[in-house]
Amino acid sequence: MTGSTARVDHIAPSRRLLRSSALLATLALSGCDGRQSVLAPGGADARVLGDLFWVMLGGAIILWLLVNGLFFYVTRINRAALSRRFANGLIIVGGVIFPTVILGALLAYGLSIMPDQRAPGDGLTLRVTGEQWWWRVEYWPEGAEAPIISANEIRLPAGQRSEIILDAGRVIHSFWIPALGGKMDMFPGRETRMSLHPEAPGHWRGQCAEFCGASHALMAFEVVAMAPDDFALWLAAQEAPAAPPADPAGIRGAEVFTREGCGACHTVRGPEGRDSQPRGAVGPDLTHVGSRLSLGAGTLGTTLEDFETWIAHTGAIKPEVEMPAYDHLSAGDLSDLAQYLKGLE
Amino acid sequence: MRYLWQMLAALAVLAALSGGAVVTLGLYNVSARVGHLPGVSWVLHTAFRNSVRLRAERPPQLPDLNDPALIELGARHYDWACRACHAAPGVAQSPTMAAMVPPPPHIETAVQGWQPHHLHWITANGIKMTGMPQWPAARDDEVWPVVAFLTAVQDGMTGAAYAALTRLPDGPAPQAYCRGCHTPALGTHVPPLAGQGAAYLRMSLRAYLDGSRASGIMAQAVSRPSPAELDALATWFAQQPAPTHAPPPTPAPLIAQGRALAHAATADPDVPACAACHGPNASESAAETPTLVGLPPAYIRQQLLLWRDGARGGGSRAHLMRVAAQNLSDADITALTAYYTTLETNGTGPENE
Repeated sequence: MTGSTARVDHIAPSRRLLRSSALLATLALSGCDGRQSVLAPGGADARVLGDLFWVMLGGAIILWLLVNGLFFYVTRINRAALSRRFANGLIIVGGVIFPTVILGALLAYGLSIMPDQRAPGDGLTLRVTGEQWWWRVEYWPEGAEAPIISANEIRLPAGQRSEIILDAGRVIHSFWIPALGGKMDMFPGRETRMSLHPEAPGHWRGQCAEFCGASHALMAFEVVAMAPDDFALWLAAQEAPAAPPADPAGIRGAEVFTREGCGACHTVRGPEGRDSQPRGAVGPDLTHVGSRLSLGAGTLGTTLEDFETWIAHTGAIKPEVEMPAYDHLSAGDLSDLAQYLKGLE
Repeated sequence: MRYLWQMLAALAVLAALSGGAVVTLGLYNVSARVGHLPGVSWVLHTAFRNSVRLRAERPPQLPDLNDPALIELGARHYDWACRACHAAPGVAQSPTMAAMVPPPPHIETAVQGWQPHHLHWITANGIKMTGMPQWPAARDDEVWPVVAFLTAVQDGMTGAAYAALTRLPDGPAPQAYCRGCHTPALGTHVPPLAGQGAAYLRMSLRAYLDGSRASGIMAQAVSRPSPAELDALATWFAQQPAPTHAPPPTPAPLIAQGRALAHAATADPDVPACAACHGPNASESAAETPTLVGLPPAYIRQQLLLWRDGARGGGSRAHLMRVAAQNLSDADITALTAYYTTLETNGTGPENE
């Protein structure tokens, strides 16, 4: 730290300014790309919002040029007094008519795109509940009587509009997939709704956008849009009961899962009527946890090592998380448990 | 005026110097034989009585202090923890204890003039500079059995009655000492040990010993045998046949509510399923997990309250139970107590479905 500070001191102030502005610009630009950006839309709604942004930005630039051009003209090019008639005309046209037309046009444009944002879904309904700090997700295909339960991951069929019902457990959260659409707040005891329309298969990231406690920043989720056929296959696999791994470590891991009472909070759906555990619902459903793309709500990957790290050090990874750290498990038990969970695909 | 200030300053310096001399040169005679200067005892004793009256709060509801089981539990703890100083009803104080300054009053005298909440405050807090210790754990609920005993002494308990109350059951020591309290006769307040696994009992005894499970009564009790004897006790009690268990009469809706909570079958998912570790049907639970079948309602209720309030520990999985119980409401605890105290067995069976 001291070394780098000393080196910076030798650089001329102008170069330092240049260097820091370049750094800031790079940081700012990195926000425009990637899996969590409103400027890289992957959904119809995000595209409309993106268009709105570019139109507004273009309009703002033109207005800026006009106002400053006029200012430049009267102070540098033609310093003579303007005729009263011209000045009156300028005020009426530039101060009344022009803004009315521009704002009116923007209002019409804004109102014209609003119905799209509020359009109902085509068939599939998702119900997402914000918890501290993870996402309870239910899939309700059209006509379904019971939901298909998952967590911390949103999968949508591409080319279709899906309905999303939002709710919250104890505090307010906000559901936001920047690449697919706008954000919507989630309130305990009050349902809100939105719909999303991914245009093509893709892979993005969502994030809670309303401060909700110590681990708010670590409340994210993976978002995957799949071709409708792939999505149907995936959903059928999610609906199926768990297929526990049959290797010796996985079998031992299942015993650890039972012995440590993991089922008190986490459901692993067994074949119909043959649950060895109560269907606890305090934490995420783990029936197919091995097929997910992240652990701890977008906080860790899904390698065996990630499973072990998460189970043994929950609070160190996500401050104030409700799941206690299972640091009393032996290294062997921990590794078996990771093997079992990773095997629940 | 200036002269007055100089005088006061000189006096202050003089006072500080003489005070320092008394402390550093050992000028004050600490001999108990010499006793206090006249009037000091009166000042200290009066301050003590008024301090207790000011601070002891009357609880909204007293436990039933006439409950014979509560009195017996208090008497048995008193016999091992307090008798050395305060003697016992009908028994004279030892000359050594009577020679303390101040002398601990004989229990028949000590209890006079106090109300139950005063006795509770004194037993829980102890009295500074008298040799009266505070309760050795942060567990005010545990003090009530001793208060019940003390009120029985106020009511004129005889020496014979005391001897009968504190007599150890027949059988080899140190089991006999444990069985004095862990007996069906005191079953409403003290859990039976038979029926629990040896690993759980061993873990609990060690937790009482190292203080990770707070209990003034059990901390005193486990200080009696050696650590090796404690392990042997755990094994011995685990081998005893579980006592026959008569579930208390309980309203069916309350049991159903408790069953739903214990199996995570409620609409509110805030409470983890108790059954995942404690059964019924938890045949593969960790060895250090207690069996809840056959435990008395008052005990289950009190332990759940302690867990919920973060005042309970013991064993390597205590942090799991603390989180599991943190969202329990008083009503949840009542329902869970109803469910678990009416369970007949911990095994699989149609009656558990």
